[in-house]
Amino acid sequence: MRRARISVYDIVLIGVMVAALESVKLALSFLPNVELVTLLIILFTLAFGKKTYYAVVSFVVLEGLLYGFGIWWVMYIYTWPLLVCFTRILRRQKDGMTFALLSGAFGLGYGALCSTPYLFLSGVHTAFAWWVAGIPFDIIHGVSNFVLMLILYKPLRKVLEYSWKKNG
Amino acid sequence: MKKFFENKRNLAIVIIVVVLAAMGVIYALFASRATAGSKNVTLAVVNDQGARTEYSCKTDAEYLLDVMKELEKDGLTFEGEESAYGLMIDTVNGLRADYEANGAYWYFYVNGEACMNGVSTEPVKDGSAFEIVYTKAE
Repeated sequence: MRRARISVYDIVLIGVMVAALESVKLALSFLPNVELVTLLIILFTLAFGKKTYYAVVSFVVLEGLLYGFGIWWVMYIYTWPLLVCFTRILRRQKDGMTFALLSGAFGLGYGALCSTPYLFLSGVHTAFAWWVAGIPFDIIHGVSNFVLMLILYKPLRKVLEYSWKKNG
Repeated sequence: MKKFFENKRNLAIVIIVVVLAAMGVIYALFASRATAGSKNVTLAVVNDQGARTEYSCKTDAEYLLDVMKELEKDGLTFEGEESAYGLMIDTVNGLRADYEANGAYWYFYVNGEACMNGVSTEPVKDGSAFEIVYTKAE
């Protein structure tokens, strides 16, 4: 793999991405499982490519520092980078519907993804029970992710591409 | 119909809808069993007179403190102070153990052996039998 060079501009860009992620997470934290982190990570990945990995890792570390390194933090370590990875696979796609589907599917599968640590810690039964108990939240997560991406994809992508062309 | 599925996006929509429906069915079938407590736990409090009060519950709690909180609905009361090691219990069912006054403290056992963790970090397993015993230092 080619080593990505990080410039001062990139560091600032990563800082802004982390600040945006943390802000939208806090802003919507009163609504269970309705969030804009997925949306932003997908859009950042489409606009800024692999640099988003740095932003996501920084965001995860910051979350741990702010709220403590619990088991949920272990889930964050792999779920968000995985989303960057999925987006990279689909990066040639242009239409909002594709990314709305990705965002929706990610929300729907988030509980299943997060149950993995319980699989190793407490076995299949606990992991399954934990996932099943959260299914209503996964459905809210999936549907809200889908709708939010469908509405916000075009305007936000336009803004990001404009700023990328202007400064990148 | 074949053409419809050749479009990857349509295929993705169909898969997501099927998964969504499957999740709904799984939830309807298994949710009640999954949300009911899966671990049987007992807890006994032994006071300064040696009197024993027994509690039991079915729980999904991970730590002893969560079990104790669940047992509050059955009449268990406790107080303590937050410390670097988690909650340090000094009062159980209204009885305060004051180590500084008379060397008394609440000793925690699990399955007959001394707990190796504080209440906030003592793990709960199916069949765990906890005891909280008023103890005086010799």
